Amino acid sequence: MTFFKKNGLKLLLLFIALAVPWVVPSRYVFQILINCCLFAIGTLSLNLILGFTGQASLAHAGFFGIGAYGVALLTKAGVSFWIALPVSALLAAAIGVGVGLPTLRTRGSYFAISTLCMGVIIEIVAGNWVSLTGGQTGVVGIPTPSPIVLPGIGEIAFATQTAQYYLVLAFLLFTLAFMHRLVYSLKGLGYMAVRNNEVLADAVGQNTFAVKLQAFVIANFFVGLAGGIYASLLGSISPSVASINITFNFLVYLLLGGVATLAGPVIGAFAIPVLMEYLQALQQYSMIIFGVLLILVIIYFPRGFMGGLTSLWNRIKGPSPGKG
Amino acid sequence: MDLFLQQVFNGIMLGSTYAIVALGLTLVFGILNIPNFAHGHLYMLGAYICFTLMTRLEVGFWTALIVSTLALGVIGVVVERLVYRPLKDQPHINSFISAIGALMILENGVMAIWGPQGQRIPNPYPEPLEILGIVMTQQRLLLIGVTVTLILLLQLFIKKTTLGSTIEAVAQDSEGAALVGINVNRVSSLTFAISTAMAATAACMIAPIFIITPSMGALLGMKAFIICILGGLGSIPGAIVGGVILGLMEALGGGYISAAYKDVYAFGALILILAVKPTGLFGRKEA
Amino acid sequence: MKGKWFVLGCWTALLVLLTGAWTNGAAAPAQEVVIGYTAPLSGPAAEYGQDCVNGVEMAINEINKAGGITVKGKKYVFRLEKLDDRIDPTQAVNNARRFRDQFKAPAIFNPVFNTIAPMMQINQEKGNEFIMMAYTSTPKVTAMKNKLLVAIPPNFEIYVQAFSDLAWGWGARKAAMVVTLGAYGDEWRAAFKKYWEKKGGTITADKPANYYTETDFSAPLTAALATKPDVLLIGGPSAPTALVIEQARGLGYKGGFILIDQAKVDYIAHILKGMKLMDDVIGVSAIANVPVPAAQSFDKKYTATYKRMNTWEAALHYTAMYALAKAMEAAGTVSDVYAIRAAFPKAFPLLGDKFPTEMFGISEAGRIHLAASVQTVKDGKYDKNDMYVWWVKSEKEVEQIKKIGKTNVPLKFMKPVE
Repeated sequence: MTFFKKNGLKLLLLFIALAVPWVVPSRYVFQILINCCLFAIGTLSLNLILGFTGQASLAHAGFFGIGAYGVALLTKAGVSFWIALPVSALLAAAIGVGVGLPTLRTRGSYFAISTLCMGVIIEIVAGNWVSLTGGQTGVVGIPTPSPIVLPGIGEIAFATQTAQYYLVLAFLLFTLAFMHRLVYSLKGLGYMAVRNNEVLADAVGQNTFAVKLQAFVIANFFVGLAGGIYASLLGSISPSVASINITFNFLVYLLLGGVATLAGPVIGAFAIPVLMEYLQALQQYSMIIFGVLLILVIIYFPRGFMGGLTSLWNRIKGPSPGKG
Repeated sequence: MDLFLQQVFNGIMLGSTYAIVALGLTLVFGILNIPNFAHGHLYMLGAYICFTLMTRLEVGFWTALIVSTLALGVIGVVVERLVYRPLKDQPHINSFISAIGALMILENGVMAIWGPQGQRIPNPYPEPLEILGIVMTQQRLLLIGVTVTLILLLQLFIKKTTLGSTIEAVAQDSEGAALVGINVNRVSSLTFAISTAMAATAACMIAPIFIITPSMGALLGMKAFIICILGGLGSIPGAIVGGVILGLMEALGGGYISAAYKDVYAFGALILILAVKPTGLFGRKEA
Repeated sequence: MKGKWFVLGCWTALLVLLTGAWTNGAAAPAQEVVIGYTAPLSGPAAEYGQDCVNGVEMAINEINKAGGITVKGKKYVFRLEKLDDRIDPTQAVNNARRFRDQFKAPAIFNPVFNTIAPMMQINQEKGNEFIMMAYTSTPKVTAMKNKLLVAIPPNFEIYVQAFSDLAWGWGARKAAMVVTLGAYGDEWRAAFKKYWEKKGGTITADKPANYYTETDFSAPLTAALATKPDVLLIGGPSAPTALVIEQARGLGYKGGFILIDQAKVDYIAHILKGMKLMDDVIGVSAIANVPVPAAQSFDKKYTATYKRMNTWEAALHYTAMYALAKAMEAAGTVSDVYAIRAAFPKAFPLLGDKFPTEMFGISEAGRIHLAASVQTVKDGKYDKNDMYVWWVKSEKEVEQIKKIGKTNVPLKFMKPVE
């Protein structure tokens, strides 16, 4: 019984998430939900390096793009999606090592700009290495994930939105579970130590460089995963998949949702795209309104939605005993 | 050799624009610790104000430039007050978000008012000159002249005037400065105003040579950041040297190497420099 | 107890999503047909996107004013719904789904290949089909073998051929390229290089530049001009192309220019405040100079309505929208998209007495048959204006087209080279 008491809320949410295909009102809404799940994976991974380890990596979209191009090119060459995807994610992680080695020597804004440049480099290379990536035109005709054959039951194909939704949901849950275990482990505490005071962490014997690199590489693995799935579901990609706008999007979802929490990135990745779809009704003023909202929210809710909720809860609870 | 000199001249001209814009940014970033990612968009606004004054109100070029510079100074103060000061004690990344909001407002606001078309400001000094085998228009030469003057004026202001020295004081130690009676908030506003005003001047000088669009500030803003980081945050010589280096790299790279990959080489060089010297060429403190 | 707030937050979010409350746009009343346009309406490509949308809008307003279309005895009017996608493929696909789900739009327009391609992945989805009205001149779009595609402008390779032949006729043998970076510029350069070298010419320099972000082209121009070319291939969006011409002349260049079809000769003349610098220029005809009776009146009407310069984007979209309307009438349906697409050939010809661009038919892959209009500028004045028929196999067929066409200038035959 205690299992249900402790996890009842999470189970309820899981149930709702699983029931979505039956209650979703239109393909349009469904499409948005599928995209949001992918964005959530990207935002959770950014959270690992930014929220928990304190390093503002602005190259995130570059690795999203590497995952996307990896899957695109491999599946078009005949490799099964189920092999192409982990391979592409590992490629993103491997390139992450190459990027991290020079850039992680810098800190703060220097690191941010360094990674920003790296992200732009990836986008430029994607657009100009014509023989490999098709240049600015990109890759078209990427096949959807190949069907999984379950002996005795039949096969699961991924041509419909419902199947695609469960696919991305599965990966999102996997990412959440992984992040949860990582962040609440000793390793996770190590990341936070680096974030809170790198000099002190160094002084007590942590190899801060190795810690940062590890967080960076894991983060890039997961965003590469998201990119790979994105490519397969969208069917065609261009260098815009590595554009800095995507990094900014992840950043906004993360900060407005609530950095350094596990719920924050997910909430941000769902709420903001939905908000933007609502704003489209305002035509040319939509981006102006969004800009104003951004400023207001970050000023009044610096820890995002989750932070705002927490302080509200604390305010309601009143001062805890012992603080008198 | 002619080709090389021509490219060098172009690089210096481009670089001096970058230098002025980066200068303003490094002042604000290094002294006030504000990463003003909207700097490029404020630069763009300066160009549009100049454009409106010259084409709709038939104002002369130099008058338009002065008005635009003053206007951007005021707007800079407003932006600092509304967008950045409330986030003073927050991590930098929050100011980043705020800046993104600001630049969205600027870019889309300008587009809503003036439309997305590229606009031309009439060139006040279009006659070409030839010096040492290099062809240039007078406006380009004037641009270099104005930027050099601005830099000298700024140095004089900071080193020789009392007001200027308050900026240096805050840069060195804002608490200490407050203790001796300096109004740190007022210094913040002043620095921001100088920063944006200079960007406006640069915009007005360069706009007649090219065309202005609502998105012209975005890339420049990013490059200005890169220059500041390369040169070292808060370092005025760093911003100038960095700006000129970037301008030269682009001109020579674009001429001798493929234009597509020139950014790759420039950014790659930056990453390597930072890997060797993590606080930039002239930088002393960490961000 | 953070978990509780997690729940509250997620409940709210999910509720909002599931009710899909924001999708309650006004559903189209029975006699209205919604046409969707997803285009870059803000950001660097906004001008291009808006020109495209304006053309469709103008056509729809006219059709509605004249009473709409009649299908199976019922009258229908059109309504244009536009959404901004900022050339983001994710947004474009979202917008397409929104047009389908909210408005049941049978046709959706888009003017950029990078966003057209992902839309073409879903436009044949069962229960969700729509006609992709694609404004893109890359042959890659027709190679995607989509049964519901209409590709509006001519294949750009036609222009490559026409421009090159003209320049060759002037005696040019050495060409240098300072074209824009980007999907379109890359394709153009590659095609031009191939064709020019096949003819026996040489490419002396290939120095592309990013017309979308740069305004200073002195570096690539200086390098290109150092190789002493006879003709310079340039182009990208019109405004920066004007700068390139200005800067090239400023560097002492006296040769000719070939403008890729993205750049508009008349817009450039407008930016440069005159054609003094534009000697020996080959490009797509200025829209007002198209030797077709309705071109001039279209030009006047467009500039009066939208207070900006008229462009090919607007003119082609305008005529294409009429073609779509006529196809619906011919098919006898406004919702069966396969039937509408099949009926497209019946919508043509759309001739020059009423339309600024003459359209004669549509290929099976979806490419509309319209003549490529090529113009030269000499001595600061508009010169020759030629129109090439490229979709037929012989001179004789061109004669037949001449008989029905209403152009004031003889049509020429051009055999497309592979």
